[in-house]
Amino acid sequence: MIKQMVNTAIVAAAAVLLTVSAYAQVQLQGDPKAAFIYLSPAHDGGWTESIERGRVILEEQTGLDIHFTEDVAEEKAKVLQIVDLYVQRGYNIIIGTSWGYGEALQEAAEKYPSVAFMNAAGETSAANLESFYALTYQAWYLAGMAAASATTTKKIGIVAGFPLSVVNWDINAFQRGAQAIDPEVQLVATFVNTWFDPVKEGQAAEAMIEQGVDVIATNLSAASVPAAAEKAGVRFVGFQNDMSALAPNGHLTSVVFHWASHLVPSVQAMIAGTWESPGSSFVGLDKGMIGLAPLSDAIPTEVRERIAAAEAAMRAGELTPFDGPVRKQDGTEVIAVGQSITDDQLWTMDYFVEGIIGTMPAGE
Amino acid sequence: MDTFILNWLISVPLFAAPLLIACLGVIVTARAGVLNLGVEGIMALSAAAGVVSVLQGGSLWWALAVAVLCGMLLSAVFGIATVVFKTDQVLSGLIIVAMGEGLSGVLGRGFTHRPITGFESVDFGFLHDLPWVGPIVFGQDILVYVTVLLVALTGYGVHKTFTGLRLRAVGENPSTADTAGVNVTIYRLGAVIIGGALCGFAGAYLSLSAGQVWVEHMVAGRGWIAIALAIFARWMPWRAVVGALIFGGTEAIIPRIQATGADVPVYFLMMLPYLLTLAVLIIPAITSRGSQDDTPAALLTNYLREDRH
Repeated sequence: MIKQMVNTAIVAAAAVLLTVSAYAQVQLQGDPKAAFIYLSPAHDGGWTESIERGRVILEEQTGLDIHFTEDVAEEKAKVLQIVDLYVQRGYNIIIGTSWGYGEALQEAAEKYPSVAFMNAAGETSAANLESFYALTYQAWYLAGMAAASATTTKKIGIVAGFPLSVVNWDINAFQRGAQAIDPEVQLVATFVNTWFDPVKEGQAAEAMIEQGVDVIATNLSAASVPAAAEKAGVRFVGFQNDMSALAPNGHLTSVVFHWASHLVPSVQAMIAGTWESPGSSFVGLDKGMIGLAPLSDAIPTEVRERIAAAEAAMRAGELTPFDGPVRKQDGTEVIAVGQSITDDQLWTMDYFVEGIIGTMPAGE
Repeated sequence: MDTFILNWLISVPLFAAPLLIACLGVIVTARAGVLNLGVEGIMALSAAAGVVSVLQGGSLWWALAVAVLCGMLLSAVFGIATVVFKTDQVLSGLIIVAMGEGLSGVLGRGFTHRPITGFESVDFGFLHDLPWVGPIVFGQDILVYVTVLLVALTGYGVHKTFTGLRLRAVGENPSTADTAGVNVTIYRLGAVIIGGALCGFAGAYLSLSAGQVWVEHMVAGRGWIAIALAIFARWMPWRAVVGALIFGGTEAIIPRIQATGADVPVYFLMMLPYLLTLAVLIIPAITSRGSQDDTPAALLTNYLREDRH
């Protein structure tokens, strides 16, 4: 059932992409005025905070005074109302920050053709609406290399939210990176089935530590995972923002978003009147939209060099975290030697790779 | 295997205690004939208030007091609306949920994701070294022991005291209680506010002890589960203990099973707490066929003296 929905979504996305390429540049009316619509408070310690960092840089780089609205639920009527208010007040660059805003922003984009829209993590697009996301798995691969060099029990762990393809590719890339350094390393993966529940996230981390895990990564944002790691004296890998302050002793690195690297050129093009929506953009290490926080001193020089080399190879397009052979947990081969993963395979990833300890909920 | 079970049992109160205290709050309120569906909102406000107090430099006990007070204030709003102005209980409860979550967001702005040092486990000296019993019974934080005390007090208060008898009379038949000279408004308002204090305590437990951090929406449905537990427990405090322990115990074992890599379907695991609790609490209902219904007869009915007949 879910697979069918995902497939339909991919076909729809491809169709949209094809039609979009025929569109022309968006001409803003009046002076450029930009605003963000946030899902949660600006300083939520996670997703929205990573975008807020980008907004601040965008202000500095463009000289614009950029407004934002916080805590906007993923309800079509609410999003549309906020867009209407902004447009009435002369705003002509509107940037959403959630997958769940997709439908509303598409409708708004049709209603206001001279307003430029962007949406982080969205799936919809139009002549004047671009959805963008980061290829997070690239940085997770590098983080996995760092983690493998710091474990003595050869068991690392990751606390994740829900079994979605964008989460699964993080987990799998983390393990693939770890295996690149040490093939014997195993990754314990736990889904807590929530996006924010500090109690459950902390407990999942504690349970892993009890099972001998000595490097814990979080794919979420609650401070209770680094707290549990710090208390037990084990290593920690953060996500979305540099989480070093939450685990001053154990922090190895964090997988960090740098949205500004994509937002700044896009908004500058909008101001210049040369912007046209590319439909969907998936930006990775090459543009610097995702990366690692400064590595801890605990990571040996030899591994640092290998991480740097892998990063360079990924930037150059010579390496992906899913170059064959890639095998599932049970040993069946998904990608053969000499082949690499396709976009379709990425967006439908519903399995764990070899060496992961954990159960993927049934996908059907 | 031994350490697995031991670690699991140690972590059970962390999951069970907040549900149990909130459930007690629901029961006390319901015994007076009022169903307060606002638990989720009250817990949200108190969880935020507790952490904000600590981050403003207050002590943990001060923070707990502030959180409990917030619970009482928000439930007083509900009480004044339903008991004094006779508004619909269900609707008012839902408004309290929205109010509590909204207020917590406003109050907690700027305090989110900032870890605090919360209540740590109590030092019982040599008792902690006893095998099994030591770490499980004597290794908990102080609020768990307060919870045990609150359960005993609530059970005793509702079922063994004269005030408790009047409280239940108001919940069963307010007009008869009124005729007998019980001030229905005062009893109902009092029950609502005491219930709110307990829910506030539950919210504070989540942020000051279990999570030691505040993030928006961190109550994550526990308020609704507390209401469900109260219904399953048929409004009896001691049954609520059983329900909360089974629910919390199952929730506590889920991350531990997942971490071992045992091949069990995750979604089935997530369903287990609900299934087991339902099963265990249904058994007494089936076996004691013919006994009276435990639900307070006047639950959800507002009392207006002029309507008496």
